[in-house]
Amino acid sequence: MPRKKSLRAIVLLAALGAGACARTPAPGLARGKELFATCVPCHGSDGEGSQELGAPNIAGLPKWYVQAQLQKFQTRQRGVNPFDTVGLRMRSMSRTLNLPGDVESVAEYVSTLTRTPAPVTLRGNVEAGKATFQTCVACHGPDGHGTESVGAPPLVGQADWYLVRQLHLFKKGWRGTDPRDIQGGTMRPMSLGLDDLSMTNVVAYIQTLK
Amino acid sequence: MLHGLITEASSFAGSIDWLIFLVLVLVGFWFILAEGVFFWLIFRFRSRPGHTGQYLTGKEKHIKRWINIPHALVLVCDVVIVIAAIHVWYIVKMDLPPADYTIRVTGQQWAWVFQQPGEDGQLDTPDDIFTTDSLHVEVNKTYQFLLESRDVIHDFSVPVFRLKQDAVPGRTITGWFRPTKTGTFDVQCAKLCGIGHGVMEGSLVVEDQAHHTAWVAKNTPAAAQ
Repeated sequence: MPRKKSLRAIVLLAALGAGACARTPAPGLARGKELFATCVPCHGSDGEGSQELGAPNIAGLPKWYVQAQLQKFQTRQRGVNPFDTVGLRMRSMSRTLNLPGDVESVAEYVSTLTRTPAPVTLRGNVEAGKATFQTCVACHGPDGHGTESVGAPPLVGQADWYLVRQLHLFKKGWRGTDPRDIQGGTMRPMSLGLDDLSMTNVVAYIQTLK
Repeated sequence: MLHGLITEASSFAGSIDWLIFLVLVLVGFWFILAEGVFFWLIFRFRSRPGHTGQYLTGKEKHIKRWINIPHALVLVCDVVIVIAAIHVWYIVKMDLPPADYTIRVTGQQWAWVFQQPGEDGQLDTPDDIFTTDSLHVEVNKTYQFLLESRDVIHDFSVPVFRLKQDAVPGRTITGWFRPTKTGTFDVQCAKLCGIGHGVMEGSLVVEDQAHHTAWVAKNTPAAAQ
């Protein structure tokens, strides 16, 4: 009898051990918060970003946008250009989200963070920028809050240096050239008509939007 | 011996495996012998009724030789290992055979970027091919690589080549390899380089001349052709 009991105990322990090893963390906000620890070194504990590290303000970005970008990084649609140092770094980090539901979970958590507008770091001609921005309205909306149906992210509150950098990336073809990246492919021709001054001006105007 | 565990795919991989095997045999022999003698002594002089222990100073010749003879023999083995190691070090790190191709390998957090000649066969010309994560090379050609880092210290490691070299920011380190086997193999970073170190991986594609020529033709930038 005692022998039978100890055999049962061993089987039970083995099953519990195997279960613990094989357990996939349940997707959701708690899992997202856990995963976000990996993002903190660059994006900051509140998702506010860091200009020094080239990490944008991601706090409060919509879940659908964060999720889509992470998937683009994972599938080599974004962050593969050999010269895009920051993009390469983000692409690698996206690959650490390798369990089912990880991308959705961290995107959900990021969307719950409070968005604090990034500090202004550049000056431009706001009036000239407003005129240029009319081209952006169709997708990003008149107030720059973005449109989910066309995959256009909100621009309000984003760091100006990051927006200028992305425009440069699109223009140089370091972003938005992968045929699978529909939104990037739309954005790239928009950037081609902008020179450095126009980019600064339009971003300066975006910084005035609430 | 090691090639049964992991493929040898470069001209010097066999030398490194041979050196590791030599160290394993010599050190393993002395380890097993020393442990055997140790346990035999524990058993032989175990506590028994009627036997008392005695203090040995170790000065007597017949006792000292238990240390001196193995010590001398181990030193001989050390010398053998050092000579073999210098020989392999010379082959891998000090000798720089003439290159068929020169490439640039750049590490950054957390990706490998490769720059290699386009159809003109020369590095740092407009037709250079830049790739991320994936390096294509031709079998049985000697490659010199210029290893650099954009940020922190990385380590360019190709296990099947038995190649491992630090990439230090601000320095260009020259090394070489000659692939001897076709296939797709791992490239990894072997120096802890930040939070994404574990995913800093790449692939090395060693192909025959026909496939490599086709790959170069396909990937040479159109503007440079």
